[in-house]
Amino acid sequence: MEPYIGCVMTKQEQVKAIFIEEAGEIIEKLDVNILRFEEDSSDFDLLNEIFRGVHTLKGNANAFGFTRLGEFVHHFEDVLDHYRSTKEDVEEHLLELFVESVDIIKEVMICELDALPDLPNGYPDCLKSIKNLIASKKNGSLLPTIEETQEVFGDLASEFAFESPRGTEEAVEKSIQFHRAMQEDGLNLYKIELTLDADCYKRGFDHLLFLNLLGEKAKSLESFFDMEDVSTLDTFSSDVNSIKKVHVIVLTPQTEEEVAENFEYLFDNEYHITLIAPVVAQAAIEKKEVIEETIETLKKPKAEERRGTERVTTGSTIRIDTFKLDELFDSVGELVIAQNFIAQNEQIRAIEDESIKRAIETLSKITKKIQDRVMSLRMVAIRDTFDKMKRVVRDTSKKTGKELHLNVQGEETEIDKTMIDSLSDPLIHIIRNAIDHGLESDAAERLSVGKKVEGTITLRAYHKSGSIVISVSDDGRGINKEKVLQKAIERGVITGDENLTDSQIFGLIMQPGFSTADTISDLSGRGVGLDVVKTSIEKLRGKVEIDSKEGVGTTFSMVLPLTLAIIDGMLVQTAGEIYIIPTLSVVESFRPNREIVNIIKGQGEFVSMRGQHIPVIRLSDVFDLTTDRIPPWEGILVCVETEAGRIAIMVDELIGRQQVVIKPLGKSLAKLKEITGGAILGSGDIALILNVDELRPLIEGAHGTA
Amino acid sequence: MLFDGDELTIALDMPMEEIREFELFVRPRLEYIETIEVEEGTSLRSSSLLALLVSLKRTRPELKIPFLDKGLTASSGNGTLHWMCHD
Repeated sequence: MEPYIGCVMTKQEQVKAIFIEEAGEIIEKLDVNILRFEEDSSDFDLLNEIFRGVHTLKGNANAFGFTRLGEFVHHFEDVLDHYRSTKEDVEEHLLELFVESVDIIKEVMICELDALPDLPNGYPDCLKSIKNLIASKKNGSLLPTIEETQEVFGDLASEFAFESPRGTEEAVEKSIQFHRAMQEDGLNLYKIELTLDADCYKRGFDHLLFLNLLGEKAKSLESFFDMEDVSTLDTFSSDVNSIKKVHVIVLTPQTEEEVAENFEYLFDNEYHITLIAPVVAQAAIEKKEVIEETIETLKKPKAEERRGTERVTTGSTIRIDTFKLDELFDSVGELVIAQNFIAQNEQIRAIEDESIKRAIETLSKITKKIQDRVMSLRMVAIRDTFDKMKRVVRDTSKKTGKELHLNVQGEETEIDKTMIDSLSDPLIHIIRNAIDHGLESDAAERLSVGKKVEGTITLRAYHKSGSIVISVSDDGRGINKEKVLQKAIERGVITGDENLTDSQIFGLIMQPGFSTADTISDLSGRGVGLDVVKTSIEKLRGKVEIDSKEGVGTTFSMVLPLTLAIIDGMLVQTAGEIYIIPTLSVVESFRPNREIVNIIKGQGEFVSMRGQHIPVIRLSDVFDLTTDRIPPWEGILVCVETEAGRIAIMVDELIGRQQVVIKPLGKSLAKLKEITGGAILGSGDIALILNVDELRPLIEGAHGTA
Repeated sequence: MLFDGDELTIALDMPMEEIREFELFVRPRLEYIETIEVEEGTSLRSSSLLALLVSLKRTRPELKIPFLDKGLTASSGNGTLHWMCHD
């Protein structure tokens, strides 16, 4: 749902793209709010918020011709409006209908965007249920319709003789007098002046659209179109609005704020609303308005207080395309490189001038500040993603029939915006997996091991050693290591001779096609999924760690870099070339003793560490570099964790740890699977970033032929 | 839209796209049209059509548009709608 598509968009396309993005946000919010309302259906502030979202969506959908979506949300809005205005308790069985309605809205939106001819399966039934509900609520309780009103007051209307008015103003004044005479308690009279811009049709707006919106709630509605500026055909175009002004007189139970909501997408100069007070009670109403305004002002802070920290303060914000942010980030990256070049340049450093040194120091500080600030622009709280997961937990709980409690921690943790979108699917799968297979199959099983009937799923986000960790924990049965090992041997994933750590054993369940589930459900356990989770997280340059204790529970942790644009790397040198190893993969680095290095005939060099034989990989071999072949105990080994286990990368020298801006490689280097990207160092040198997962197979081949 | 001899019958509930087509259709044929009638049971969907009808009438005053001459229309969705041409 990106509004920017990298090519020139017409104004209408731009408006539509913004609508699509906003509609997506409204629907996401609805999804979360409807669940919160399900938990506490007495929260009428929340119901109002849901109503406002649905109302905005309706206006937008109709404006852009998404009539199927518009029709559905129109009726759903009626239901919500009934409950919010009557403050009537929402019956429990109806909450399910509300949740279902939001599902249908999501699905219809997809149908509209993809221009699919067929509607979602549940659409007709759900719409019917909503219509039936509102019909049952309407019986005998609502105001007469516009037609009924016009019929009742028809004679009076003719008495005021609007048919042949001498001028617009005169006709409008007569209409006001007529409606004032009809005004009764609970009804407000408004005069609305619409002066829509010439391009209103191109923007998806029309005078009739607004009359329609007002008509939904109005008891009486009358409008006067001033056609004075409509020209003859030689200069006329039906695409261009030439109607100078439209006066609308509306008698409605709606407040001024509610009436104004109909015009929220117009420019301020395109509409003007005036509340017309009844002649007799004008003074009383003015007083009442003051009192209501005061009460409203007093109420507002309390409502905000009640919501506490759940609400995010909305300051002045603007929408910026992430593409533009990326461009800005690239430019700042160049600035950092240039600044580092100045700071590390030997000739500049040799200048014995305090003022130059101070200027360079200041430049360095400012550059760092700019870099941090630009970085922070890409960071968003993970709250919205976690909110979406609440729905996943609710639905999975219902499907599996398992009672559970969701515990959410660290919602404020910020993560790179570009990573957020790729996180949802892996997270959904892990959560479903945790509920479906992690938790015990029924209450009896939990009770038999001394646990509460209600299982707990904990969703947590936190910072750890310069990375972001998102974990999903369950307090279920834990992973049976023996069963995993047995299955892995059966499927030929391992031979059984390996000396695997617990973490490596648990990691086996993420191998493609590996599943220890005895039964296959429609949620998980198909033997696909966890490997996809692993692949998805690795694409984000992260990794998945599993920790489990039998009988206690399991935790899946997704360890992710802070951002995709910068990598925290260890700079190493071999044969005069500098390479970068992602710090996230590094376990330790050391110069080995001669005694722990073994050469196994036909298999290559190994280093023994804590009972494990770790293959040694010479970077000079991988990249075919010309260098003296020194023994491992004269070089440095950097032990890294790869998807196939640990390896020790042999280098000449460790340069240090540094954050670098990742630069894409050119076409020829991009083909090298051992490299994921490049970076320009402060000295101006280029360093290649290693893909450690791809180093192992190559060296195994080399060992095999040695 | 039905063109029968010199009488053109149109539906009032045309969306924008059809209004554009209608405008393109009627421009070269305006001289041959005597009357523009509207289909019964249809109500205005866009103010653009109302403006187009007014423009047609201004371009060729002898053209008969009974709907326009009434000066008002009413529908359940839009209430009572009046237009002032100041002619």
